[in-house]
Amino acid sequence: MTLIRSPEPIDLSAFDLPDGETQTRYGLPHEVLFCKRCVISNQRPNSAVEYQHTKASKKATIAFDAEGVCDACRFSEQKRSTIDWQDREARLAALCDRFRSSSGYDCLTPGSGGKDSFYASHVLKTRFNMHPLTVTWAPHVHTEWGWRNFQAWLHAGFDNYLMTPNGRVHRLLTRLAVDNLFHPFQAFMFGQKSLAPKMALLHDIPFVVYGENEAEYGNPIGDTTSARRDWSYFAAADRSKIHLGGTSVQSLHDDFGLEEQDLLPYLPADPVQLERKQIEVHYLGYYLKWHPQSCYYYAVEHGGFEASPERTPGTYSKYNSIDDRIDDFHYYTTFAKFGIGRATYDAAQEIRSDDITRDEGVALVRRYDGEFPVRFAEEIFRYLSIPAKEFPVASKMFESPNMDRDYFMRLTDSFRSPHLWRLENGRWKLRHTVFGNG
Amino acid sequence: MAGLRIIPRLDIKGPNLIKGIRLEGFRVVGDPHHYALDYYRQGADELVFMDIVASLYQRNNLTDIVRRAADQIYIPITVGGGIRSLGDVNQLLRSGADKVAINTAAIARPALIAEVSERYGSQCMVLSVEAKRIGPGRWEAYTDNGREHTGMDVVDWVMRAVALGAGEVLLTAVDQEGTRKGLDHALLQAVASRVNVPIIASGGFAAAPELRQARDAGVSGVAIADALHWKRTSLPQLKADAQALGVEVRL
Repeated sequence: MTLIRSPEPIDLSAFDLPDGETQTRYGLPHEVLFCKRCVISNQRPNSAVEYQHTKASKKATIAFDAEGVCDACRFSEQKRSTIDWQDREARLAALCDRFRSSSGYDCLTPGSGGKDSFYASHVLKTRFNMHPLTVTWAPHVHTEWGWRNFQAWLHAGFDNYLMTPNGRVHRLLTRLAVDNLFHPFQAFMFGQKSLAPKMALLHDIPFVVYGENEAEYGNPIGDTTSARRDWSYFAAADRSKIHLGGTSVQSLHDDFGLEEQDLLPYLPADPVQLERKQIEVHYLGYYLKWHPQSCYYYAVEHGGFEASPERTPGTYSKYNSIDDRIDDFHYYTTFAKFGIGRATYDAAQEIRSDDITRDEGVALVRRYDGEFPVRFAEEIFRYLSIPAKEFPVASKMFESPNMDRDYFMRLTDSFRSPHLWRLENGRWKLRHTVFGNG
Repeated sequence: MAGLRIIPRLDIKGPNLIKGIRLEGFRVVGDPHHYALDYYRQGADELVFMDIVASLYQRNNLTDIVRRAADQIYIPITVGGGIRSLGDVNQLLRSGADKVAINTAAIARPALIAEVSERYGSQCMVLSVEAKRIGPGRWEAYTDNGREHTGMDVVDWVMRAVALGAGEVLLTAVDQEGTRKGLDHALLQAVASRVNVPIIASGGFAAAPELRQARDAGVSGVAIADALHWKRTSLPQLKADAQALGVEVRL
């Protein structure tokens, strides 16, 4: 493994080319299209198996149909028209009847105590008379209001296991994911996906219930025809194929000084055991018509959930994904890589839910998308720094263990795709925007 | 004015009357005109129309709604949201508004308060304040419908704005708004005790006894949205309750 170099100033000529001659990166479609109904573009990657994510990975992206409408909008249409929600709810009731226990926990619901997990666990408990054990994979760095909401959730009537990974390991993996993949959220995602099945094995609770379905946000529409979560998301059979932060498990051990035990929280559950114990994973969003705004109302009403005290940088909203200080940066990186920032994701969802119109969404994207998140920046850069005192082995692998604004901005530029970006009077501009000429 | 004013507050987004919680998660309630007319007929003392996304989207589209309302409604109408210039004020007043409520633009350029007040009279210049609690007895003024910090202390800001010519203050407690947890009495008291212009309390109204507390805190009007829009109570009921509590109201 070679040293991780500090990002060099990039060759700008690739960004000067006319639209027709530019190169794309990450396997993104060359022609940029915006959904006719929401504001998402066809550059939006689907969730993929993060354990296989390396620098060379190509993305599968959200599908648009012949009418220029994205899969997520088509799915919303189904939610409103063809899906028989009464039937789905009856199936959920039957499923709960099959698992309900009079003495032990009978379902396991992962979550953060945000509005969606609050709703999922509370509905299971109060409407379906289940006895959920909730499990939480800690955010990188809690926001104060995220922590209060997490506590409010448990005080609304739930037992909970909070798994907080070793801060040093988590910081290193996050730094690697930033330098290699420009993906500050990746280390969190490993735990988010694997914790629940592992806890289900540990506690012998065969019924795992997640909240909404990922298809709502644009994964292939086929995914939603079955509520069973695709095992491949969290159950890797062969450990030699596993990468964390774009770095092989072997290299993490040999070059970065991590021990086998350091990686335990990030590894997926053993599929053989999952099979043997017949763990079933379901999405509540398959059975109940999911509406994030209603979850907000529900969580305020039943649990004293609080919106954040300010809008999240890069968007207009105050109630959505507000518990992790690194979140701001996650969406800043998606803006650089795919031209899709937080306001685009938020507005697309709210348009599909009929909470705002497309015109409003376009105005919000124009105003907020891609804003640099100043509020936690210094703290996050310290978090991402790998000083020798704390990381005696790993720090030697970085030409510049220290992360600062300058480093981060150079890194940002190194992840821009020329088919999306051009430089205009020294400022980066998207070539295609939903509010411009498309 | 004698008595406590009961003022239905209509937050508008696009063509719709909407309601959120803590200025977030807006739900469509219905046609604003229908609700405004209904409140007028039930005995509202005044109405407040607020285009809650005007600053957010940097636009203002209340003119038509106000014009339609003013045609059939003969109580004072205050209009706010996205007002940035004397031209905007002029247009709204010509559409039938009696007063304008200004927050974001006044914070960006406090001289606007003096300009509006000098041109149209201070009774027309309502300072709209979005107050977010930041500590015991301390509130920060927010803009853009409770989304942006200003770093400004609410009490200091109101005093300064009143000195510039604001003739009334619409004081919204962001933490209470839409929660039905009660008005922020400490906030009302803190502001009302420092200025001698009428204060309209907004955000969190839950039950009639608060009307007396509001009066005792020194405010002259209470803006109510959630409780009326979702028909948890009615204006005649509220006024009867107020009277029974010894609070003077216009019947």
